[in-house]
Amino acid sequence: MNSPFPASSSAPGEGKLVVELLPQKTSALSTITSQYPLKLISPSPQSYQKSVLVFFLTYGGGLVGGDQVHLTIDVKANSKLSIVTQGHTKIFKSPSSDVVTRQQLQVTLEAGAAVCLLPDPVQPFKGSVYEQSQIFTLHETASLCLLDWVSAGRIARGEDWDFSAWSGRNEVWAAEPKARLLLRDNVILEGDEIDAQDKKLEKKMHNLDIFGTLVLRGPLVENLAAFLLAEFAALPRLKAQDFRSQAKIDRDLKTNLSQHEIWRRARLEQELGCGLLWSAAKIRGCIVVKFGSLTVEGARTWIGNMIKEQGSVEKTFGESAIMCIK
Amino acid sequence: MNCTIVAAQSQLIREEIVDLESRLQDAKERLNSIEGAVAPFPSLPNEGPISASSHHFLFLLADSALPLGSFAFSSGLESYLAHTSPTPSFPHFLTLSLSSYASTNLPFVLAAHINPLDILALDDAQDATIMCPVARRASVAQGRALLSIWDRSFSPVASAASSPSSAVQALKVFSTILRSSSGSGTASELPPASAHIAPLFGAVACILGLSLKQTAYVFVLSHVKALLSAAVRAGRFGPYHAQKVLASLEVQAGIHEVLEREWGIRIEDAGQTVPVMDLWIGRHEMLYSRIFNS
Repeated sequence: MNSPFPASSSAPGEGKLVVELLPQKTSALSTITSQYPLKLISPSPQSYQKSVLVFFLTYGGGLVGGDQVHLTIDVKANSKLSIVTQGHTKIFKSPSSDVVTRQQLQVTLEAGAAVCLLPDPVQPFKGSVYEQSQIFTLHETASLCLLDWVSAGRIARGEDWDFSAWSGRNEVWAAEPKARLLLRDNVILEGDEIDAQDKKLEKKMHNLDIFGTLVLRGPLVENLAAFLLAEFAALPRLKAQDFRSQAKIDRDLKTNLSQHEIWRRARLEQELGCGLLWSAAKIRGCIVVKFGSLTVEGARTWIGNMIKEQGSVEKTFGESAIMCIK
Repeated sequence: MNCTIVAAQSQLIREEIVDLESRLQDAKERLNSIEGAVAPFPSLPNEGPISASSHHFLFLLADSALPLGSFAFSSGLESYLAHTSPTPSFPHFLTLSLSSYASTNLPFVLAAHINPLDILALDDAQDATIMCPVARRASVAQGRALLSIWDRSFSPVASAASSPSSAVQALKVFSTILRSSSGSGTASELPPASAHIAPLFGAVACILGLSLKQTAYVFVLSHVKALLSAAVRAGRFGPYHAQKVLASLEVQAGIHEVLEREWGIRIEDAGQTVPVMDLWIGRHEMLYSRIFNS
């Protein structure tokens, strides 16, 4: 008997999104398909929405050993997309090290298009084997804000970088005049043997519970990029001596601080409190921020604080784009 | 019955051999004492570890006097010491640095040795993988220095020898592109060439006749030597201890381990194995006082 339903064109774990600009200048989805274990949902569009919001979900809140997710996204000229998740993407244990759990993302941005990807951290469990690849091809006027972060696992259960293997790839390509690689950020973490006495990876990570990368490129995130570079340049020098007397320091604090300097002092204290280290740099037209923190929540507060204080992501993509880092 | 005869005979023969040997030894000694002779000087071998001209270049490339300017860089050591005070551990840093340096650079060295004609593409691809300007500066400064050494010092000799001429040509084109782009490049446009040390080292070593493994070993060993030299100058320990670490089995095993790990890794899969290294190197500029450029 013939099935009354149209044949499914996508394979397990495949998904596709196409975002277009409607004549009334709002962005909207013209295609949204996903196959188990991937699940894409988008709230019904509002006329005032600044970007299309899509939830990137997986059944059960994570990927089981061997799951393969492959999402292709086309963002047409001048339209905007923001992608969020609904909690940590959990990576469950693989039965053996040759069963690889994969997540692949391929995004093409046309002229004036913009994508904001601010998800929750990936949380690889003990014994998991994970490979993530996110490849963005950008028109020279397109904009990208990408956050990619990975935690030490189920910290409450005592996991501390106990996965078998983790690798993350973020690539940014210029589409024109001919395809050229602008940025390739590969991180390869080789786990220790299960129950190894010498925890090499844990030592390598230097007590950090989370490590992340923020990549920015394009006119719509230019201000945020400049803000982060300026904040990095304004960090206090390591091992610097303050030769002022305590009384003078107190006096200076009371009188000379601008609103922004007060915010910065509070942020620096927060950085110190959760042992957060970060660096920011411009690399081949992209701004790359790397950060690591002793606590997952410390990192979330920090990056949220930065992005909210500067404010342009919220203005450009809408409030919901930053829901994972609030 | 038969057995005992055989055993007795072989015993006799053994005794005879011992006797003959001692007489031979005795005769030799008497001869020596008469002639006052020493053992004849061995003739210069044409085979062995230092016969080919490639060995000559192996020693030149492995020499810490090779003017690459490596002494100006600490590959994050100085920043590590400041970030982890008061309890930094040099052996720990050495392990991390060796792993990180090999995983980010070695695939490019190997690829350029295998195909030196790809030098421009390899250089551009590596430029996209270096995530902080401090590390980039160190890599480019040493790469440019190596290219100058090649242009001014090695190329006249190597061109005359039986080197692959197309590879020599590729390096010539590369340095022309580098020179033309560094003058005219606008800020917004990406230059076509940067001159990173890893691909250039691979290409130059290939032309000079080093084997793939020699090239990789010397490249990684040079990094270890530069780190130890930086540690001595940063006052961590003295030169004898530095040599002791350099000679240690741990360092030898460490180099072999990273060579084995990176052997056959495609350049597309080269990456950072020690994420916190990017933070230390990237934050080098935050140091109030510094003696190194990286």
